[in-house]
Amino acid sequence: MSTGSRSAPVTVASSPQFFDSAHTRRIMWTVSAVLTPAAAWGVYVFGIHAFFVLFASIIAAVIGEGVMARILNRRTLRDGSAVLTGLMVGMTMPPAVPVYIPVVASLFAIIVVKWTFGGLGSNWMNPALAGRVFVYFSWTPAMTGWTMPSTLPQADAVSGASMLGLIKQGLSGTGGHVGSPLRFLRDAGFPVSTTDTAVTDWLNQHVLHALGFSIPGGYVDPFLGNIPGSIGEVSAALLLLGTVVLLARRIITWEIPASYFLSFALLTWVFGGARYGTGLFGGDILFQLFTGGFILGAFYMATDTVTTPLTSAGMLIYGGGAGILTFLIRFYGAVPEGVALAIILMNVFTPLINRYTRPGRYGLSEGRR
Amino acid sequence: MALGLCPALAVTTRVVNGLGIGAALTFVLVSSNVIIALLRDVIPERGRLTSYIAVIASLVTVVDLTMQAYTPRLSEQLGIYVPLLAVNCLILGRSQAFARRSEGGHTVLDSLGIGLGFTVSLTVISLVREVLGAGSITLFPMGNFSGIVKIPVLSDSPARIMVLAAGAFLVTGYLKALFNWTRMHQPRSAQPSQERAV
Amino acid sequence: MTIARTFPRGGIHPEEHKEVTRKRHIWNAAIPSHCIVPLLQHAGAPAEATVKRGDRVREGMLIGRATGSISAHVHSPIPGVVTELRDLFLPSGVRSTAVVIRLEGEFDRLGKAPQRHEWAKLSRRELLGLIQEHGVVGMGGASFPTHLKYRLPRGRECTHLILNGCESEPYLSGEHRLMVEHPEEIVEGLQIAAAILRPDHVAVGIENNKPDAIAAVQRLVKERGLDVRVYPLKVKYPQGDEKQLVRAVMGEEIPSGGSPIDVGAVVSNVSTVMALFEAVCLRKPVIERVVTVSGDAVANPANLKVRIGTTIGELIQECGGLVKEAERIVCGGPMMGATITDLSTPVTKDTSAVLALTAAEVHAGEETPCIQCGRCVRSCPMGLEPTLLYKLIDHREYAASVENGLADCVECGCCSYSCPARIPLVEGMRSGKQVARTEGLLP
Repeated sequence: MSTGSRSAPVTVASSPQFFDSAHTRRIMWTVSAVLTPAAAWGVYVFGIHAFFVLFASIIAAVIGEGVMARILNRRTLRDGSAVLTGLMVGMTMPPAVPVYIPVVASLFAIIVVKWTFGGLGSNWMNPALAGRVFVYFSWTPAMTGWTMPSTLPQADAVSGASMLGLIKQGLSGTGGHVGSPLRFLRDAGFPVSTTDTAVTDWLNQHVLHALGFSIPGGYVDPFLGNIPGSIGEVSAALLLLGTVVLLARRIITWEIPASYFLSFALLTWVFGGARYGTGLFGGDILFQLFTGGFILGAFYMATDTVTTPLTSAGMLIYGGGAGILTFLIRFYGAVPEGVALAIILMNVFTPLINRYTRPGRYGLSEGRR
Repeated sequence: MALGLCPALAVTTRVVNGLGIGAALTFVLVSSNVIIALLRDVIPERGRLTSYIAVIASLVTVVDLTMQAYTPRLSEQLGIYVPLLAVNCLILGRSQAFARRSEGGHTVLDSLGIGLGFTVSLTVISLVREVLGAGSITLFPMGNFSGIVKIPVLSDSPARIMVLAAGAFLVTGYLKALFNWTRMHQPRSAQPSQERAV
Repeated sequence: MTIARTFPRGGIHPEEHKEVTRKRHIWNAAIPSHCIVPLLQHAGAPAEATVKRGDRVREGMLIGRATGSISAHVHSPIPGVVTELRDLFLPSGVRSTAVVIRLEGEFDRLGKAPQRHEWAKLSRRELLGLIQEHGVVGMGGASFPTHLKYRLPRGRECTHLILNGCESEPYLSGEHRLMVEHPEEIVEGLQIAAAILRPDHVAVGIENNKPDAIAAVQRLVKERGLDVRVYPLKVKYPQGDEKQLVRAVMGEEIPSGGSPIDVGAVVSNVSTVMALFEAVCLRKPVIERVVTVSGDAVANPANLKVRIGTTIGELIQECGGLVKEAERIVCGGPMMGATITDLSTPVTKDTSAVLALTAAEVHAGEETPCIQCGRCVRSCPMGLEPTLLYKLIDHREYAASVENGLADCVECGCCSYSCPARIPLVEGMRSGKQVARTEGLLP
């Protein structure tokens, strides 16, 4: 008896005969989709040039990928990884940057970081971040010129600067006594949007009053995304929403976001204040969390599976280390934002972390081989 | 194949630097190897290394002082890397491997070849790095010509990272990859059977 | 209320797909007009045919005799005439000779009142003899001849007899229904096993998704005043794998390269224990078993009591045939089963299920490069690193792969199931083991 009248033959395959619905392609496209709202917000507040930057970086990444795949004869099915890398590169660019810069960053990310080392799955560093760092050190002035978002009132005194940048300048200017970051920025002329004032007042009156404390104005702007910064990093709200989606769909696991956030937050709280001159245990966690691309970096870039450890324990160590490095660079380093560099540094440690966090084996007395 | 590239990273930020150090190395290489070859029967086995270093170091000092006198700006650029030629693995390596076994004539040819190759490769690396990283090509000043050729678009905003250490590694790596690739695609007979330098 | 135990490392939670079949009574499949009975339905050497073409056989008659040190008897499931001795491929890919019997004549057991035999006064030797005589083999997948397994190695004692009621493979619910419908036979079979093995503890491990089975066994055990402990276990594949079951129930791990008896455990499946009961109490050889027929492509998924030798095509027809296009037809569970293309493949003693899966159920996809996500490592119950092992085997570093634990791989499929890059990890392990064996790196 044959398999009867069928339109297609049955598959012959080795076990297992069914799979979890997760697939590389779906993972890549889902992350891209989840990032899009934050990118769109960036275009909205920073203007049409931001769109061109994003467009250019994605196209450059796709072209780079296509060329390399052709040269190396690999069928990189449109698996969505090039688009994702391009989008991530674009999102870490300042909004007014000349278009050739994101193009170079994308090409560097795809050709040098990804394909020179073997293609998808073989890069030893996060391609998008490596691309960003490459162009950051190549064209530093262009990469450190920021635009005020359209949702903030005009403020000529501080145009062109980022919040962390101002604080870093202030640190050296005042010899280490910046005080509370928000107040420092206010004094330096950094504007606050009317939305921020309205929401802060509402929260203080209706929600926080009952809990017994109140927050100063100035937190809502960074949360919503009314601050200068890279195109995709400003809207903490949209990025956090996206993170929840990724966690729910099990595309990222909790270990890295949690350990990265906790180690950074803890250090900021304990020592951040001391650095700014307000004493120990007085650091401003929320401010540090919502500025400088922390959420984009910690929850989207640092969770890239290729460059992070394999086991739970390894991922916790990785996240913890990234948090420590970010803290050090931000508070004590020469550059105001530490996330990109911290993540790349930890990427380099991943193989070492993997070697020391091998899972315990069943049936062996020492646990690990 | 990649012996002696240590100076490559540091000095290859301008084309003229690459040419300069290549020339210096070639001179030291040829002269020291000739001297060592001529003295090979006289130098005892035990005192071999010391005598080689003595020869090489003296020659390096000669080159260094000459450069300081006649090409001061270049000497300043190259800085400590000229005296460091004294311990450049390439020079010492060649003398160990080749010079002490051969006659003067062969040694000259061998050293010239290696020196030339070294100069060429360092110059190529410098060319790429300077063009991309500084938007210019710096050669020896001659008469009215200041020696610096500016490249129109790149000189406005060059990719500065290329003249930093990362750029050096990148260019060197890709150049090596290019060599490997061409070697892989050459027909069998054309591939050299002997050891090649650089 | 006891807290459900589980095993500490790895494991996956696939969709169960048991909702329909777990609620339906097992029904008797139609007796086929021809039975194709392979002589190799167990681990070890194939049985030797004791009949030839043209011979008349009776229901339950010996048609294949065990040969060699590890082997088992094979019996005829139906009365009739031997039409041929045919060579065929089993789903595992191994060749075997099969005795083809055409149905004819009177049944000796079917339709007749079964005769009960006492066993309390039988010695261990006699009990083992009955088990051997009636061709009982492990029916949980490994098909090791039970009489050999229960005849413990010299110097070894059984401290824990564990009844495996987990059935953690998705789709399968035959053992679940057996426990609900025939708890008395199963418990008596367990008592027989205990009489042979004389363990210090008797335990039953059942996954939490079978509360009716847990209740039925617990009630019966209490009624009869037996010293049997029932452990509800957390639902997690592969809880039914003996290594994980021993770990969950006893808290001990079987040493690498060893077997359960190394920690004093003997694990037996519900179907096997049922067969023990039938062999000793009813003097009935293994001629039928419960098979779960399921999958979205099948019209009426169900659990059937099937005569060995019935073809898979006949089973599917009995369940209403295929109503959707089946992307694959699987013999066994989806995690460890094998695909077949020939619907005339017969059901054997180790066929636990027949699945006709649609493409939508399978979720296959094209292979992409490894994205180092680590899901395979985190899901491996044996604590191995499948991504590393696969790469080593791919690069022909067989010695290194053995060093990294290739021999401990039980081929449960958790790694491949979890892999978003659809890398054929289990396939790689299998081929790696094969080469390692030929190179003498593995026994």
